[in-house]
Amino acid sequence: MKRIKKSGYTLLMNTIIFILGFPLIVLVIWSFTKRWPWPCMFPKAFGIRSFQYMISPGSNTLQVLIGSIWLSIVVTLITLLISIPAARALGIYHFKGKKLFKMAILAPIIVPPVATGMGIHVAFIKMGLVNTFMGVVLVHLIPCLPYGVRILTNTFEITGKSMEMQAKVLGASGLQAFFYITLPLIAPGLMAASSLVFIVSFSQYFLTFLIGGGNVITFSMMMFPYIQSGDRMMASAYSLVFVLTIFVLLIVMEKIVKRYYKTHNHFYI
Amino acid sequence: MRTRYKPYILLIPVTIVLLGIFLSGISIGLLQSLGYFPAVGLRQMTLKYYKEILADPGFLASLRFSLYTAFISSVLAVIMGVLLAYSILQSKQKKGIEELVYKLPIIVPHTVAVILVYNIFSQSGLLSRFLFHLGFINEPTQFASVLFNRNGFGIIFAYLWKEIPFVAMIVYTVLGNMNDKLSETALNLGASQKQVFWHVQLPLIMPSIVSAFIIIFAFSFGAFEVPFLLGPTYPQALPVKAYIEYTQPDLLNRPYAMAINMVLIFMVIVFIGICHKIFRIFYQYDGSKE
Repeated sequence: MKRIKKSGYTLLMNTIIFILGFPLIVLVIWSFTKRWPWPCMFPKAFGIRSFQYMISPGSNTLQVLIGSIWLSIVVTLITLLISIPAARALGIYHFKGKKLFKMAILAPIIVPPVATGMGIHVAFIKMGLVNTFMGVVLVHLIPCLPYGVRILTNTFEITGKSMEMQAKVLGASGLQAFFYITLPLIAPGLMAASSLVFIVSFSQYFLTFLIGGGNVITFSMMMFPYIQSGDRMMASAYSLVFVLTIFVLLIVMEKIVKRYYKTHNHFYI
Repeated sequence: MRTRYKPYILLIPVTIVLLGIFLSGISIGLLQSLGYFPAVGLRQMTLKYYKEILADPGFLASLRFSLYTAFISSVLAVIMGVLLAYSILQSKQKKGIEELVYKLPIIVPHTVAVILVYNIFSQSGLLSRFLFHLGFINEPTQFASVLFNRNGFGIIFAYLWKEIPFVAMIVYTVLGNMNDKLSETALNLGASQKQVFWHVQLPLIMPSIVSAFIIIFAFSFGAFEVPFLLGPTYPQALPVKAYIEYTQPDLLNRPYAMAINMVLIFMVIVFIGICHKIFRIFYQYDGSKE
């Protein structure tokens, strides 16, 4: 009886996972398709025309992809620089108005970006930030900051400040304590935060397109017209490249952090 | 003395960004929605734009459509997400797959979720091909349109694909870290597995479920991409309608767009308020255990 129940849950789990995973398989097939007319269930011919188009110099795809990665890296770094002190304050200290700050920082997740974006557009035009790289970076901070601060706050809540205090008691300066004690301690949180912030920035369409005004073109914007026109082959191929790019970057980052840990670990434990 | 002010000093950068971009964006929008837009010579504060949009049947249809798609997709996502998390926990195998299931939809953006839905549900999509082979239809045009339809199914499917794993991830983390002793005690005292779920585990995961529900509802209610790509021409979702008003060449139309935006924000706040009220009633009922 119990086993039947267990296999029932396994079946349910596999069904839901299949429903979620199946469209991804179709996406991969479409991006390597040459011809797949209705009503065939399988492609008539396979090809890599979409990828050939992407690497052809005329399409600019590689350039935009690299530019996009660069933009999101800049956004991630600035977000972390702002989030670390804020998260430290919220995670370690007790002070008046802490709840208010926590809520205010999470507010951009709840307030539609359409509303914020259109409002700030006029001000950005006046300040000459529209159609510029810097303007897009600044507006990306809004959806990214809540994630950065939230994850790092949790990290600081767990690590506390006792280790840092010990270092200071033993004569470390504030900077030394931060770089040699706090930073390695919050490294896992930093990694989680930067991955998520990078993804949020890299996936941004509306804000980029509103503030970038067609002058700052990201990969998300580049694939949008193909999705809009229902060009399944190109849209699927671009989507595949999009997802793989994030995947590869995440793996590279994990490797770097792990290596850092391996070579440095014995200094701290 | 110095430590008293330290947290506030640490919070200065984030406050500057929040005030400078986020809050000022909203404030400028609010002022414009009230008819204060000096750039085009509007200086008279008025509620005219709100009155006009609230009397406009097109706006009300959009509001209903946005509420409908956001609510249905969020409720279904929460139910399926909890089911997924619970079944993964119960089956306790294949730890690799579950992790992939969580990570992929986070990596895949909404625009890609749209093409996933499009590949399956468009008139020449896989489902319509499948129905042809089963003999239900002879031509793609016979396939009832799921996308670009007033029933909003395409939008709901795209959100579900993104949100089910999100809910599952949150719920699974809480369920997985939950102290087994509570469930075991209940089982020991003669509770059935069902009772354990409804009276022990569910109340414990409820706060996470509510916050996940609020986040996905607010997101799908206020997001532009998915309804823009998969929605019908009428009624448009509210964010799409706001954007179309915004891009009108006549700048005098801007206040309408901003008024729509303010209604969007207002609705989200009301929604969160309602959620907290309901949650509190629920919690009081089950809070006796503390």
